[in-house]
Amino acid sequence: MKTLLLALSSLVATTLFAADSPPVGAAAPDFSLPDASGKAQSLSQYKGKYVVLEWFNPECPFVKKHYGGGNMQKLQREYTDKGVVWLTIDSNAPGYEGNLSPEQAQKVMKDWNTKQTALLLDPEGKAGRIYNARNTPHMFVINPEGKIIYEGAIDSKASPNPADIPSSTNYVKVALDESMSGKPVSNANTRPYGCSVKYK
Amino acid sequence: MTAQGQIYQGKQLVQADALANVDAVVPGEPFLVGVRLKMQPHWHTYWKYPGDAGIPTDIKWELPEGWRVGGIQWPIPLKLQEPGDIQIYGYHDAVLLIQQVAPAKNSTNSTVKLSAKVNWLVCEKICIPGDAVLTLSLPSAATNSPANTDLFTRFQKQLPGSPAANFSASWKSDAAGLVLNVTQLELAKFPSVDFFPSPPENVAVGHPRLESHEGANYTFRIPLDNAKQNFKSLPGLIVFGSATDAPDRNAWEVSIGSEMVASNENSTARDVLRFLVFGFIGGFILNLMPCVLPVISLKIFGFVQQAGQSRARIFRSGLAFIAGIFAWFLGLALVLVIIKSAGGQPVWAAQFTNPYFVLFMSTIVFVFALNLFGVFEINLPQWLSRRAVAAEGSVHGDAGSFFQGVFATVLATPCTAPFLGTALGFAFTQSATVILLMFGSIALGMSAPYFLLSAQPAWLKFLPKPGPWMVRVKQLMGFLLIATLLFLLSVLGAQRGVASLIWTCAFLLVLSVACWMKGAFLTPLASAKTRGLVLLLMLLLTIGGGYYFIGDKFQSAAAVANPTASGGGWEKFTPERLASELQQGHSVFIDFTAEWCITCKFNESTVLETAAVQAAFSERQIVKLKADWTNGDPAITKLLKQFGRPGVPLYVLYPGGTAQPFVFPELLTKNTVLEKLETINRTVASQ
Repeated sequence: MKTLLLALSSLVATTLFAADSPPVGAAAPDFSLPDASGKAQSLSQYKGKYVVLEWFNPECPFVKKHYGGGNMQKLQREYTDKGVVWLTIDSNAPGYEGNLSPEQAQKVMKDWNTKQTALLLDPEGKAGRIYNARNTPHMFVINPEGKIIYEGAIDSKASPNPADIPSSTNYVKVALDESMSGKPVSNANTRPYGCSVKYK
Repeated sequence: MTAQGQIYQGKQLVQADALANVDAVVPGEPFLVGVRLKMQPHWHTYWKYPGDAGIPTDIKWELPEGWRVGGIQWPIPLKLQEPGDIQIYGYHDAVLLIQQVAPAKNSTNSTVKLSAKVNWLVCEKICIPGDAVLTLSLPSAATNSPANTDLFTRFQKQLPGSPAANFSASWKSDAAGLVLNVTQLELAKFPSVDFFPSPPENVAVGHPRLESHEGANYTFRIPLDNAKQNFKSLPGLIVFGSATDAPDRNAWEVSIGSEMVASNENSTARDVLRFLVFGFIGGFILNLMPCVLPVISLKIFGFVQQAGQSRARIFRSGLAFIAGIFAWFLGLALVLVIIKSAGGQPVWAAQFTNPYFVLFMSTIVFVFALNLFGVFEINLPQWLSRRAVAAEGSVHGDAGSFFQGVFATVLATPCTAPFLGTALGFAFTQSATVILLMFGSIALGMSAPYFLLSAQPAWLKFLPKPGPWMVRVKQLMGFLLIATLLFLLSVLGAQRGVASLIWTCAFLLVLSVACWMKGAFLTPLASAKTRGLVLLLMLLLTIGGGYYFIGDKFQSAAAVANPTASGGGWEKFTPERLASELQQGHSVFIDFTAEWCITCKFNESTVLETAAVQAAFSERQIVKLKADWTNGDPAITKLLKQFGRPGVPLYVLYPGGTAQPFVFPELLTKNTVLEKLETINRTVASQ
C-alpha cells in the first residue's frame, strides 16, 4: 500500500513539475504563430521533416555572438539546404528588449541576411512557455516523427565572445548529423546559455 | 585599480577593481585577492550557477612564476525571479569575489604586479557582457599588515560555511529527478530554508522546490531535465534566514556523497528490503572477516564438541548461539536508537575508538585464552546447575553457546564488510523500527551458517570425531586468542602509548593469578571456608589491580595525539587542510583509516603503499591525507557521515577544482585505484 502511494505521488509529482522543457524523447508540442510576413506557421505542417526551433532576441549579446560573424546563418543555410525546417522564434513581450514588430522582423532578417525557414513572432510567449524556452538562443531539434531529439545550448562554450565559436562543439549540428545518419543523438540535453527570454 | 566597465545609456553599469587583504606580499605566505564588481541599481551579475539564464563571472589571474591561485569563493547569491518562471542566481549592488593566492617561497622582486582578466555578464531587462583587465601592485616585504579588512570581512561573512554538527543530508532519485532531505535542529528556527543547486557544467536542472517541511526536516525536489544522466546527488547550498533574500541569510554547503543514501520518510519498501538483504549478506560475511577468524575456530570447536551429542541438544546449542548473536545486535540497535534519539552521533565500530572498550575486550579475550589453556574451568553457580539438571538439559552448554554468540559478534564489529557499510550508512538515517530490522537482518546473516549446521547435524559429521586431541586443539585455540589479544593491545598502544600497554599487561597479570587461584583452589571439592577465602583473595586481586593499574596508571596515560606516524608522504588530515588544498586547486586523496581496522591495513599494504600506486600519486601531484580515526576524532566522524559511511575504511578522491569527489569501494584493488588516478588531469596541479 505504501509503495503504491509512493508510486502514485511520484507520478503526480512528475506532472506537477513538468514546468521544465518537454523532455527529450517526448512528442514536440504543436503551436501556430504568424511569421514576419503575417503568414501562420504551425509545427504540425512540417511533420515528416526535421525541425530546428531557435529562440531569438536580436538585442541579446549571445544571439549577436552567433549572427555577428555569420555562424548561425551558415548553419541555417547548411541544414535548410538539406531539407531541414528552421524556425526562429521571438517570444519577447512588447515593451521589452528584443520584441519585434513584423516590419522590424523583416528588417532584421534582411540586415543580418538570415537563412531560416521562417522567423515567428510570439509576443504573448505562447510557444515559449509550452517549450519553457528560457534563453536566447535556446535550441530544440525535432525529428521527422515529431519527437524532440535535442534540447539545450547552441554550442559547448557558454560565453558571449564570438572568438570562442571556432573551438566549440555545435550541439545542434552534431544532433542533426547523428540523427540523419541513423545514429542516436549522443548529447541530447545540455544546459542552454544566453539572455533570458523576456516574457510578460 | 579601477577599470572602465561598459557604458549603457550614459551610465557605467559595472565598476570593477581588484584588491588584496594585505598591504605587502611575504614570500610563501598565502593571502587573499578579491575582484569587486559594483553594479548600477537593479543590475545583476551571476553566481557560479547562473540558473536559467546568464553566465558566471570569470576571473583569470596572471601571476608570477611559481605562484598559485585557488578557486573563487562565491558569496551566497540572491535568487531572482523573472517573468516566465525564469529563475536566476546572482548579485545586486556589489560583490567581492575572493580567491586565495599562494606566492612562491623565493620571490625576489621588490614589487609584484598581479593582473586579472575578468569577464562578466550584467543584466537588468537586457544583458550586456563586460570585461576588464585589473591590476594589483604590491610591495614584497618580510612582514605585512592586513588591508581592506572591512571589505573582506563583509564578504567573507556572506560565504557559505560547512554544515553545523548533526546536519544530515540524503538523496533519492526517481523518474522526475532528485529528492534532497536535510535535517538539522537549527533549521527549524528559520522562516525561509531553500536549496540553491550548483550542478556540474552543462547540466541543466529544474527549479528546486520545497516539497515538505516538518520541524527541522526539509525535503526539496530538484527536477532533472536529462533523465539519461544518472545523477544521484548535486552539490549546492542550503540557504536559511528570515526571508529568501534577507541580509541575515546564511548557508551551508551540501557536499555530495557518491553513494545514494536514501532518507527516512521517502524510502520505499523496496529500498528497505534491498538494504535488509545487504544486511543479511554483510552479516554472513562477518563470519569471514579477519578479526572474527580466531573466534570462528572457537565456534567450530564448539560444534566438534557437540557432534557426539544428541541432535536435539545440538540444535538447542545452535539456537542458543544464534540467540547470543541476536541479543548482541539487537542490544546494539537499542543503544543506537537511544543515542540517536538523544541527539548523539552513533558511529559503527565507535566502540573501538574508546580505549576502555578495547581494554575490556582485551581482558575478556585474555581470560578466555586462560580458560582454553586449562588454567581454570568455567562452572556455573550451583543453583543454576541444579536447575539445569532438573530441566534435564544442559543449561551449561546453552548458556555457554549463548555467550559465545555474543562474544563472536562483539569481536566482529570493527570489520565493516563492504555490504554492511552501505546498509549501516542507510540504517543511521532511519527510524528506530528500521534500525532494529536492519540489525536483525545482520544477526540473521551472521547466524545462518550455524542455524544450518545445528539443524542438519549430519553435515557436522564432516568434522573430526571428538577425542583426547580436543584438549590439544583447545589449547591451540588459546594461542589464537592470544593473537587476537596482541591485535587489541596494538590498538591500545596506538591510542594511549606504551605506558598504557605496560599497565594493561600488569592488570592482565594480576587477573591471570586470580584465574589460576580459581582453577587451583576453587574446585567443587573445596570446603566452604577455603572457597570463601579464595573468592575474597580473587576479588581483592582483581579490584585492587583494576583500581591501581587501570583506574590510576592507565587513566593517566594520555591519549596519543597523532596516533600514526604518517610515513610514505601521507600527511595528517584536518578539515582545514582539505579546504585549503581544494581551494588551491589541488587533487586530494583521503585514506580514512584506524589502527584497529584490519581491512584498512590490508588495503594500505596491498594497494595504497605499493610502488605503482605511490608513483601514480606523486606523478599527478595528488595530496595524500590520512584521516586516522583510531581515537574517534569527531571531525573525521562528521566527514564519514557526510559520505554516508558509518565507519572506516573510506577512500575518497577529490579530483581538483569543483569536480565532485569520487568514493572508492571499501575493498581496494590496484587496478581500480590506478584507473581512477589515470583520469586526473596531470596539469590540474600546476595550473
